[in-house]
Amino acid sequence: MSLLSVARLAKTYGGAAALRDASLTIEAGEVHALMGENGAGKSTLIRILAGVVQADSGEITVAGEPASIANARDAYRLGLRFLHQELNVASRLSVAENIFLGRAYPTRWGGLVDWAALRDRASAALAALSASHIAPETIVGRLAVGDRMIVKIASTFVDDASAPGRIFVMDEPTAALTSEESERLFRILDELQRRRAGVLYVSHRIEEVLRISNRITVLRDGVSQPPIATAEATREMLIERMTGRTRLEAAARPRQSTNARVALSVDRLTGKGLEEISFDVREGEILGLAGLGDAGGDRLLRALMGAMTGGSVTIAGEGVRPRGPAEGWRRGLAYVPRERRSEGLLLSQSISDNVALPHLNRLSHLRLFLNRLAERAETAAVGRRVRLRATGPRQRAWRLSGGNQQKVMFARAVAGAPRLLLLDEPTRGVDVAARFDIHALLREIAAAGAAVVIASSDREELLALCSRIAILTDGRLSRIVPAEGLTAARLLALCYGDDRV
Amino acid sequence: MNSPAIAFVRRHGTLIGVALVVVYFWLHLPATFLTGRNLLNISQQMSMLTVVASTMTVVMAMGDFDLSVGSMASLAGVVAALVFLAGGSTAVAIGVALSAGLVGGLLNGFLVAYVGILPFIGTLGAMTVYGGLAFWLSGGKTLFGSAIPHGFSDFARSGIPLGFDLTFPNLTLLALLSAALVWVFLEQTVAGRRLYAIGDNAEAARLAGVPVRPLRFASFGLAGVGAALAGLMYASRVASANPTQGSGLMLDAIAAVFLGQTMTEEGEPRVLATLAGVLIIGVLGNGLTQMNVDSYVRDMLTGAIVIAAVATSSLGRRRGE
Ligand SMILES: Nc1ncnc2c1ncn2[C@@H]1O[C@H](COP(=O)(O)OP(=O)(O)OP(=O)(O)O)[C@@H](O)[C@H]1O
Ligand SMILES: [Mg+2]
Repeated sequence: MSLLSVARLAKTYGGAAALRDASLTIEAGEVHALMGENGAGKSTLIRILAGVVQADSGEITVAGEPASIANARDAYRLGLRFLHQELNVASRLSVAENIFLGRAYPTRWGGLVDWAALRDRASAALAALSASHIAPETIVGRLAVGDRMIVKIASTFVDDASAPGRIFVMDEPTAALTSEESERLFRILDELQRRRAGVLYVSHRIEEVLRISNRITVLRDGVSQPPIATAEATREMLIERMTGRTRLEAAARPRQSTNARVALSVDRLTGKGLEEISFDVREGEILGLAGLGDAGGDRLLRALMGAMTGGSVTIAGEGVRPRGPAEGWRRGLAYVPRERRSEGLLLSQSISDNVALPHLNRLSHLRLFLNRLAERAETAAVGRRVRLRATGPRQRAWRLSGGNQQKVMFARAVAGAPRLLLLDEPTRGVDVAARFDIHALLREIAAAGAAVVIASSDREELLALCSRIAILTDGRLSRIVPAEGLTAARLLALCYGDDRV
Repeated sequence: MNSPAIAFVRRHGTLIGVALVVVYFWLHLPATFLTGRNLLNISQQMSMLTVVASTMTVVMAMGDFDLSVGSMASLAGVVAALVFLAGGSTAVAIGVALSAGLVGGLLNGFLVAYVGILPFIGTLGAMTVYGGLAFWLSGGKTLFGSAIPHGFSDFARSGIPLGFDLTFPNLTLLALLSAALVWVFLEQTVAGRRLYAIGDNAEAARLAGVPVRPLRFASFGLAGVGAALAGLMYASRVASANPTQGSGLMLDAIAAVFLGQTMTEEGEPRVLATLAGVLIIGVLGNGLTQMNVDSYVRDMLTGAIVIAAVATSSLGRRRGE
């Protein structure tokens, strides 16, 4: 008897089918991976299981019993636990409160919350994830993104005697994690498997899926294909099943001509959590920023976008010190922030409003009156280049799948033919094929003379794109190495401070 | 939860409710309610609210509030009357009153945008300060008399003849003109688009190059000018000024914007929707007055309607995540 089985699920949103015919089963002790392109319907399936939305048709069976899941409480009682794609934390509450959010807090004296017990149990949950560096009383809003994700994960795994968790559903849990943090999650998954729980695991990272899953179901345009045993799966086969494309051929890394002009020169820059950073980026170059955990790549990009407190920055030979993002964009900088939801998207606005926002001076009449035709034309054009999948430029951003929301952020950055692109985890949540195309687009933009600085916790991404990689350690630039001939393992060693080249 | 019927009620509930109210008044007041004269009368009664609600929409598009507009309207009326009493001309009085509105509004904007005070608190403080100032300047009395020039008070009493013994009131014209300008600003200009971006996600807007502080600063200035204009219209209509005559405007303006928000796609404030909200409040007030309903009952009903409208529009408005 399967732990969970869903059969022929379908769901349409206002006429557009998100899920047409999706079936899968999860056995006890299995990690079942769910894969598919951005917009294929993975999160929709998960939202149905979680009781967030209702399916139009189809059946769900939990441990052999037909289940109807009308809301989150029903799902919880059935032993389903979720880690949704978008990180929803109560940012003003403490870590401990977040971990127990939506559950009974421990009490004493007939109903008063037992704060000490709450803290202890939260500490234990964090320790199980080897995340004891997070103090249970910290306010979640102060944590770095990866740590927030860990709090969320800890909350998913907390035991509850009244409704024990049997099926764990995770929607791209590693997208916001560093590889070290991911390893800890994988250890937990092993433990769950030993306890005969079931796991439904969504990810765009093929290597990871091949490593940790037992079976794989591919979803394409809302239709599921029969599951594949992971032992028999290969990277190429999965890509073809997901996209229909047989090969994704990596283009050569752009060769760095040393006589190109310096596009960006940074001299002893300081800022919040940054100490005296100096480097140059030439036109046509893609510079990577690597580091462990909270090394400061995000803060460096923010500083360049106007948050710097000292030092000097020269862009295309002009000494400037952007006083804020508005001036940065005006001078030809473009920025993709790390967190698309909180720092990037206007969720209730249309795609074209989102893409055009920094470019309104150009896409308007006399810099005063809106030119919606121009906005939409430009949005459609860049949307195609980033493989955005939407009903049109007027679709609201909140209706897009997670990966497509990320593509909107990227489209915004490349729309204005920027001279200097500052990218913070630009392909987070983007599917393999689109990510491949975005990388190709970045190389093309660089080849046309722009300079790119990209911070990424995905070392493979840096190696595929960059000509040089800057290693950051606790807000300091420890060294810059050429990417040529570097392996991911070697890059990791460099991040740990190993200085043999 | 998401059947088409619920979606329809959610989006159009407010309009359906209003249609029912209009039919009710029409049946009970067949001779006087749905007449050209009465409708023009309503439009004139509502002209001050139209102006304030329109500029309030600008502030609320950014997700802020301005609670000081009512006292600012009173203050502007008092300031104009004082200029008249000191022998100033109509043009000077209008100029000084509108400037007072601009300065007061920009002060709010400064507190909110640059000092970083929450709009609710900053403009609440400003509300009492401007209200107190109006009392102090006027000595707590109504200012009227021969000092107020006829040209100023006649403006509100005249209009464009329409034939059949009807005139289109100047105040209505001025209100529609203001609303049209705000519409152009919010819907057709780059600055307007940026305001909506701020209202959606201020940090994201800032990182995407929107000059958040200057825009907030300026928008509060605009709200101040709108309030002052409404105060002048009021003073012209009653040919006098007293330190409390604008006080009802603030709550009505916010209510009108809220009512309007129940009619828009994503629940955002839009000027045309705000106008519909103003109309609802105006029609309700006029009909109930004609039916001799006490004013406190009228207030209770208006409040109840705002709550009911907002409640229906949030029916099932739950984003699947
Ligand atoms: N609330 C909604 N309204 C309209 N369309 C929606 C809504 N939610 C999702 N969709 C559409 O349904 C489709 C499937 O979306 P879903 O979020 O399930 O994709 P996904 O497989 O999780 O993609 P990703 O890898 O990008 O996260 C997309 O085309 C999306 O635009
Ligand atoms: Mg998804």
